[in-house]
Amino acid sequence: MLEVLGLTKHYGPVTALDGAAFTARPGRLVGFLGPNGAGKTTTMRCVFGLATPDAGEVRWDGAPIDAATRLRFGYMPEQRGLYPRMRVGEQLAYFAQHHGMPGSEARVRTAAWLDRFGLADRERSKLEDLSHGNQQRVQLAAALVHDPELLVLDEPFSGLDPLGVATMSEVLRERAAAGVAVVFSSHQLDLVEEVCEDAVIISRGRVVADGQIDELKARSGRRHLEVEVAGSGGAWIADTDGHTVLERDGDRVKLLVDEAVDLETLLAAARAAGEVRRFSFEPPRLSEMFMAAVTAPQPTMAEATR
Amino acid sequence: MTPSGTRGARRKAGRIRAIRLVATREVLERGRSRGYLLSLLFTLFLLAAGFLLPTLVLTGDHPTKIALVGSTPAVLGPALQTSAEQFDATVDISTLPDRAAADAAVRDKTVDAALEVPPDLSTPGELIVLEEAGSQLRGIVSGAVISLRAGSTGQLLIPPSVTALKPPTAENTTAIIFANAGIILMFIGIFTYGTWVLTGVVEEKQSRVVEVVLSTVRPRDLLMGKVIGIGLLALAQLIVLVAAGIGAAQLSGRLSLPPTTVGAVVQLLTWFVLGFALYSTALGTLGALASRVDEAQNAAMPVTMTATFSYIVAIVFVTQEPSGVVARVMTFLPPSAPMVVPLRAALGVIDPWEVVVSIAIMLAAIWLLFVVGARVYTGAVLQTGSRMRLRDAWRASR
Repeated sequence: MLEVLGLTKHYGPVTALDGAAFTARPGRLVGFLGPNGAGKTTTMRCVFGLATPDAGEVRWDGAPIDAATRLRFGYMPEQRGLYPRMRVGEQLAYFAQHHGMPGSEARVRTAAWLDRFGLADRERSKLEDLSHGNQQRVQLAAALVHDPELLVLDEPFSGLDPLGVATMSEVLRERAAAGVAVVFSSHQLDLVEEVCEDAVIISRGRVVADGQIDELKARSGRRHLEVEVAGSGGAWIADTDGHTVLERDGDRVKLLVDEAVDLETLLAAARAAGEVRRFSFEPPRLSEMFMAAVTAPQPTMAEATR
Repeated sequence: MTPSGTRGARRKAGRIRAIRLVATREVLERGRSRGYLLSLLFTLFLLAAGFLLPTLVLTGDHPTKIALVGSTPAVLGPALQTSAEQFDATVDISTLPDRAAADAAVRDKTVDAALEVPPDLSTPGELIVLEEAGSQLRGIVSGAVISLRAGSTGQLLIPPSVTALKPPTAENTTAIIFANAGIILMFIGIFTYGTWVLTGVVEEKQSRVVEVVLSTVRPRDLLMGKVIGIGLLALAQLIVLVAAGIGAAQLSGRLSLPPTTVGAVVQLLTWFVLGFALYSTALGTLGALASRVDEAQNAAMPVTMTATFSYIVAIVFVTQEPSGVVARVMTFLPPSAPMVVPLRAALGVIDPWEVVVSIAIMLAAIWLLFVVGARVYTGAVLQTGSRMRLRDAWRASR
């Protein structure tokens, strides 16, 4: 289990991390969310010793992480990069060996991953001769080739075509199913909602929401309501306390309602306006929760729900 | 062994493994690149140029100065002029009263040669030079004397005998050639492969691969592995060139190898390793400050200037006066020692204690530079954007 405990990091006058804390469990996919500059990359760099926190620490299986532990981790930085002129096969084997694999095993695992990504025939090609999409696949393979116990990926979906997105999600799900703890950052919230079980939302260096996505949604107290009243033109409802009209489309209105609002009262109001054809109710999208969490004034949601 | 002891040992083993992996990658990736072969050919070319250039410059158009000693046949001067024309050369003729004055003039190089021929041409006479008579000079003088003697007395066609005041020994010549070749190789090697370290560091930074590498390798181990790997390639090239040079000399039979050869080669290789370690560590550190290769070359300017300056001073001053003050001082300065010490050693004018002290200073300097350099490298290598200042990089790493 990965435990990030109270990480604080300042770069001169800039506070990159301000007590960030969360956990990632084996076999779980964690979406690590936050606006640009919230501290996602710095957190990941702290896990790999690429940045040293001013306070707090990162633990793996209850012990502080050292160089030997780190060999069992896989990292894909946001700024992608491999050796452009090095051959694909040798490159992957090189990274596998850096993670402590013997040379022969490294070559076997390299061949297996290249095969998996349909790149078996490019093993002897230089990286720079590959297409952009294939270079991305090699980059992912470089993070996976040594069978890590923890996989940390910074924006793994950015710049991928739909095919690449499908491969990436499939591989991440499969790794999690194999017992790997997977943490990845992303701005594609709908994708995170679809792929991940857990989410961590970080804002201005602090974790403002953390847990199972379903629970976070249930806890958020905000719901979506879609109501269609025949012939009403949507005129039966206006913005008042407790609910916000998100969208009007003829007879249909979409509402965002607080937990406190009595749905019976709302339904009665709709019935009074005409024939109710639709009254559907769903939890908020992750993207809405995200917006609410990162724009919420202090105290943070995490503290409020504690 | 205590648990912490084993952990320490394991950590050390891990670091050595990482350094070895990095070094092996450099050797394999660069060793089979076309650039490595090209650099070998280029060095051979420069080496040849380094030997030929002084000869070309020295045999320029200036007239050969010949002094006629005592009383000589009146027609000797004009005969020399005529003979020189055959060689497409000019001679500048003066006279000196006696043999003692002639020897002095030759020694202090006011004339290139002195010629003593009896007025009656009873003997072919004597040509006095400092080290040796070049083929052109010998041709001009022989041509003049033989033509005079053939015309007047019909005696045998014997050229004047040649007396060298300071005849070069075979060992001396070889030592000088060795010293010069060694220093050229040293300079080119440090420059070429030091630049590889420099650009290698920037390229890793530019391609962002460094972040992936550093997730398992410590920055200073990466720097050290790079210096070792590229250093091995440079050393291999130097050994090939030295072996080729010695082989060629043996085959052509032109140079007899002096007994000091082995010592000179060992000195050359030792100092190459030391010099490369010093310069490439400095270059790798400065490379980490830059984000692009052209920026890196600017950042590296102070180091390349120092290397060039040391080289020029070594070539100019130390070869002239290998035991002078400049040479002695430069023996103990780390940037110049790699070029000066093997040069003086090859010329046989360095005391063993000087070598020992110089190596000690050098090792201390390398260690210091590596400690400072590794910290700056650590602070700078993950920073992107504009070129970093040395002080900021120093502060950036814990």
